[in-house]
Amino acid sequence: VRGTDLITGYLAELQARLPAPIVEELADGLEEAVARHRGRGLDDDTAARAAVTEFGDPAQVAAGFVASCPGRRLARQLLLTGPVAGLCWGTLLIAGRAWTWPVPDAARAAFGAVLLGAITLLASAAIGHCYRRVTRAAAVGSATITVLDATMIGLILSLAVRPAWIVAVATAASGLRIVHNVRGLPGILAADS
Amino acid sequence: MRAEELKGHLDSLLLAALEDGPRHGYAVMEALRQATSGRLDLPTGTIYPALHRLEQGGLIAGAWQVVGGRRRRMYRLTPAGRRALSGKRAAWRDFAAMMTAGLEARPCAEPT
Repeated sequence: VRGTDLITGYLAELQARLPAPIVEELADGLEEAVARHRGRGLDDDTAARAAVTEFGDPAQVAAGFVASCPGRRLARQLLLTGPVAGLCWGTLLIAGRAWTWPVPDAARAAFGAVLLGAITLLASAAIGHCYRRVTRAAAVGSATITVLDATMIGLILSLAVRPAWIVAVATAASGLRIVHNVRGLPGILAADS
Repeated sequence: MRAEELKGHLDSLLLAALEDGPRHGYAVMEALRQATSGRLDLPTGTIYPALHRLEQGGLIAGAWQVVGGRRRRMYRLTPAGRRALSGKRAAWRDFAAMMTAGLEARPCAEPT
């Protein structure tokens, strides 16, 4: 195998798994590695082989990026803080007698279904192996959670639900999550290119 | 030193490699190889995700530069990274001193 083909093949394997800017950065590193091995006196083909060997299995390199990608991080943070927000809202729904609120059953069911869908997406982002799928699942999942948090805040404020202190706690919990999501989303979307 | 033994310490080494000034990923690897006299046995490809993780944590900052017509990502330590490095260095010195004392001390007399 010729050295240039070896490098092209290696980069193609990375391209299949990782966003373009990351591949560009690795390609630059690979060029540097080839140059270093040539500087040690190796011919072009042997230098290319040494560079590819030095960088390691492309699947392992990609796995490292998936483990540290922004989408993975945000999804895990949301799943970890989810039970706290859920507890706040659950307490409010019970204390505020949510079953007496003028909300159509279909809307309640739709809310539940969308929430389940968002949690499923976040879970797949938290454990998935494919960079693009992890990133997209995290983006859609966190955007959905943000809309749901905002919907709940809007609903209880418009219904003037009591007791006020639980409203304050639940609203604060959701508000913090919204701010965190809105801050994290650009980084995730930037990674998905 | 192999990857599994390095776990948790790679971040410190990467921060140390950026202490003298900005470097790109491959230069970080070369600096580490040189600093450890070639004893660091790590696939170069795994350095890059680690750098991205440090960047997300705000300990280093990355920026693109054009060098010889090629785009290159350069990394530099942030003030938070500099603080983290001195903390990790102090913690390592304590740990190393403790281990050296514990492993190399010889009992003065055997109890009989």
